[in-house]
Amino acid sequence: MDKIIIYSAVNTKIKVMEREFLEPVDYVNLLRMRSIPDAVHYLKENLYYKKILEEINPDTVSRRDIEDILKRSMIDNIDKLIHYFHNDYRKFVRSLYMKYEIEDLKTLARAIFNREKPQEIETPLYFLGKYSQIEADILFNAGTIRDLIYSLEGSEFYEFLIPLVDGRRENLFRLEMALDTSYFNIVQSRKYKIFPKDRELLKKWEGLVADLYNLQWIYRGKKFYRLLPEELLNYTISFGDKLNYQDRQRMCYARNLEELYQMTLDSPYGFLFKKEEIYTDIFMERRINRFIYYRLKELSRQEPLSIIQIIEYIWLYELEVKDIVAIIEGLRYGLPSEETRKFLVKVI
Amino acid sequence: MSVEKMKILGVIGKKNLLEKVLRQVILSENMHMTNALSRVNSADFFLPPSEKNIEALEEEPFLKPYSEKRDFSQDEKIVNLFLKIFNIEPQLNKDFLTEEYDYDDFMRQFFNVYKEISSIVDEIDIKLREIDQKREYINNLKYLTKFDLDINNFINMQYLVFRIIRITRENYDKLKRNYENIPAVVLKVAVEGGYVVLISIAPVTLEETLEKIFSSLNYSILPLPKEVNGTAQEVIEQFTRNIEEDQKKIEALKSSIEEYKIKYRDELKKLFSRLEMEKKIEELKSEIAIGKKLFFMFGFVPVSYVYQLKDELEKNFRDKLIILIDDANTTSFGITPPTKLKNFKIFKPFESLIKMYGIPAYQEKDPTIFFALSYMLLFGLMFGDVGQGFILILGGIILGLIYKKTDFGGLLSRLGCSSVIFGFLFGSVFGSEEILPALLVRPMENINKLLIFSVLLGVLLILSSYIFNFINIKNKKATGEMLFESNGLAAFTFYVLLLYVIFRVFIKQGTLLPILWISLLGLLLAIFFKGLLISKLFPQEKAYKKISLNEYVEGGFGIIEMLLSMLSNTISFIRVGAFALNHVGLYIAFLTLSHMVNSSWGSWAILILGNIIILTLEALIVFIQALRLEYYELFTKFYRGNGIEYTPARINSSLLEEEKKILKTNKIRFSWIRKILSFFRFRKGGLGLYVYDLVYSYVNSRAHYSHRFLSCP
Repeated sequence: MDKIIIYSAVNTKIKVMEREFLEPVDYVNLLRMRSIPDAVHYLKENLYYKKILEEINPDTVSRRDIEDILKRSMIDNIDKLIHYFHNDYRKFVRSLYMKYEIEDLKTLARAIFNREKPQEIETPLYFLGKYSQIEADILFNAGTIRDLIYSLEGSEFYEFLIPLVDGRRENLFRLEMALDTSYFNIVQSRKYKIFPKDRELLKKWEGLVADLYNLQWIYRGKKFYRLLPEELLNYTISFGDKLNYQDRQRMCYARNLEELYQMTLDSPYGFLFKKEEIYTDIFMERRINRFIYYRLKELSRQEPLSIIQIIEYIWLYELEVKDIVAIIEGLRYGLPSEETRKFLVKVI
Repeated sequence: MSVEKMKILGVIGKKNLLEKVLRQVILSENMHMTNALSRVNSADFFLPPSEKNIEALEEEPFLKPYSEKRDFSQDEKIVNLFLKIFNIEPQLNKDFLTEEYDYDDFMRQFFNVYKEISSIVDEIDIKLREIDQKREYINNLKYLTKFDLDINNFINMQYLVFRIIRITRENYDKLKRNYENIPAVVLKVAVEGGYVVLISIAPVTLEETLEKIFSSLNYSILPLPKEVNGTAQEVIEQFTRNIEEDQKKIEALKSSIEEYKIKYRDELKKLFSRLEMEKKIEELKSEIAIGKKLFFMFGFVPVSYVYQLKDELEKNFRDKLIILIDDANTTSFGITPPTKLKNFKIFKPFESLIKMYGIPAYQEKDPTIFFALSYMLLFGLMFGDVGQGFILILGGIILGLIYKKTDFGGLLSRLGCSSVIFGFLFGSVFGSEEILPALLVRPMENINKLLIFSVLLGVLLILSSYIFNFINIKNKKATGEMLFESNGLAAFTFYVLLLYVIFRVFIKQGTLLPILWISLLGLLLAIFFKGLLISKLFPQEKAYKKISLNEYVEGGFGIIEMLLSMLSNTISFIRVGAFALNHVGLYIAFLTLSHMVNSSWGSWAILILGNIIILTLEALIVFIQALRLEYYELFTKFYRGNGIEYTPARINSSLLEEEKKILKTNKIRFSWIRKILSFFRFRKGGLGLYVYDLVYSYVNSRAHYSHRFLSCP
């Protein structure tokens, strides 16, 4: 009974909003476009993006503007849906901003580190302060990484970052790792008063995402960063769905990539690697996203009246935006459509 | 009683005297500054050609506004530091300003003191920081007190690195699970909140690896002192002693500051006042015009003070200044004389309600007395009650004591008085009509009489507002306007005649004489063709030189509007009687309720509750209704209220800059309504705020409407 009260209205809203997703045929058409203005024209003619892209002129628009607007629409979507929730459910929905805010914080930190001006940052940083409730202007005024950390005082991130401020370890890598750690720590330590069923689903879902990210992290850590196994292990997310601590530890202490590959084959995530591509991992992220995409669709079919619905919507929209941006980037850099297609989350 | 007469006081003198003259003007608190350039350029400005004025006459055509701006930020920094360090309350004291002094010389003596003191303050800061550092060391050393060893052995090892670190519990779990791979000895010494404190000992050669691993656990190092000897306990004791010594040193430094305080105390007190004065002077300079050697300054001064101010200036500066006194002329462009209301103390609080509508123009008649009397009358009639009036008086007195600056307390107690008087006339105490005999009439038993009386009272008030209008127009010397304007003599006659017609036809059942309706029609036509009539009869009146077709269209609607408003304004006063009935009616309702309750406690409680509701809700409504009668029915007829308030240059006004800004909006004038509402426990955001908003928007829209209405040609 209660479930219906909580979800009936918002699910209807979500269903309406999901109808506005692009159809496969739209992707095919978009891939056929020859220039960015053409693609934007096409998007504008498509029903939903007409509203979002209303202000921009397709003939003069740059890739950055489109990213800008699409990102803002992501916020708008969460803003629209958050009104349907109350109490701890609302807290949960608010925490959906967190992932994006952390991404923006990292971008900002990188800009500060490279001594760029905040105005010159390529990607728009709309999510700053959305979760932490810190004024974005305060963050933009930070001149150094140290300032940035201090200006986050009062947010949940602060306690994770403050140990970095002792002079020696103020570097970008540590900050990014600390931010990521803070995300998963906050996700793990929060305790919502929600239905047991929802809590279970959430745990499963977050465990799944953590597994995927852990695998990606261990692989990259081994391949590019050459981190110590201990370091690698310490940075892994300390929860998961299918992978337990021993699994993660074993993987971190794998002697080489071949061994790691063998280990993943034994886990349910063997699909992430392809033997012939083991040294070129460019498609790994796409495979993760694709897996998430299908898994979410499946879960939302199984659990129509549950928290997975809003998670699904937010993720799917993000993935769609990613695809659109990828297509636009492909056009910008003159990639043949066959090549661009390989980077898309959706199978076209 | 009226608007106080003003004179324009002009002062011309050498530039080096400017600051002193301004200081005196500010201290006199009588001069409303006006722009000197507009004054010099106005048609009636005349500088008598005499030997003394030669220089001024020479410079007159080449004046320019004073544009230098002095920066007081450094001075402010000094003053603020002194106020903070010496713990002096910033206060304005005129005694410090009347003395003869030169601001720059006065400030100069503080520059050196400032330097010395700020170096002492810095020293104290350094010491305080050292103490903090030592406290931290002590805190960290506490983790080592269980080891009875010379800690120097730990800290300065050659081949091993010893450190105390702190990580979160989650990260400690990670460390523990993977302990077999960690190249260090790790010892847990304490758990604090979500954190774990660890000691780690590792070979120097593995230091780099360890650093990486600990970094990935997001650790913080707890610093330890470098050169120490003895066990942790001993070192702690040593540091504690050090801290005590440092604190003594700080005390010594503080007392040396104290010496400065004793030495400079009297001068320091003057600092704040003098800086404020200087800032105010700087502010006034924007109104002043300067030539090569001279400054020109003008301002409005009430007649009663102008000669006193002139004498004072002459006494201090002898013949170094040229002082001019002229009548305030209302016609010159760019300089409007300010309005200073002058009223008996009984009527003073009502000025705030007048100002809410608008301050009277300089040549306008001050309506305060008329307003005060009629307002009290209306309020009393609508809310006549001995008991509740008495509570209003008490409340007014208390509010007056708490909020000395606002007039609201005084207003409330005067309204209360009126309520008490009418309470006796109606024989009503706390709503009950059984305790006192009615001296005049019982409203509930004479409903019709009361309603008719209130309309008659309205007619009387409307007629007197017409007369008020004639006086105002007469002051403007516009005869044509006085005759034919929609609130002029023609309209007045029309209104009187109309009333007579109504009286004759409807009450006496008489016939309508042709002469009556012919003259009514004639008057209407005269008002309709007012433009034509005025330009023919009084060709000197500028406003009606050009007449276009538009004006007739407008005039036509104007007449319809006038007829409608005559009717509605008159009928509107029926509410006076209605509210008098309402007061009794509400009480009867509560009385009935109280009879329905069986226990005597309950019925008393209901009566008391009822009285509280009547007192708060009805008093508020009556207050507003009376106000809207005044504003809408009466003020629209005669009152423009487009004057400028007289604000003489004085020093505290600059202090309260923020407050002044808020005062400009009507909101603060209404804030007392909010205060009252919250007084009666209607908390913010609740019913109280709702009622307040209603009231505010209601009165404001009325006031605005009438303003707009009046400003139409």
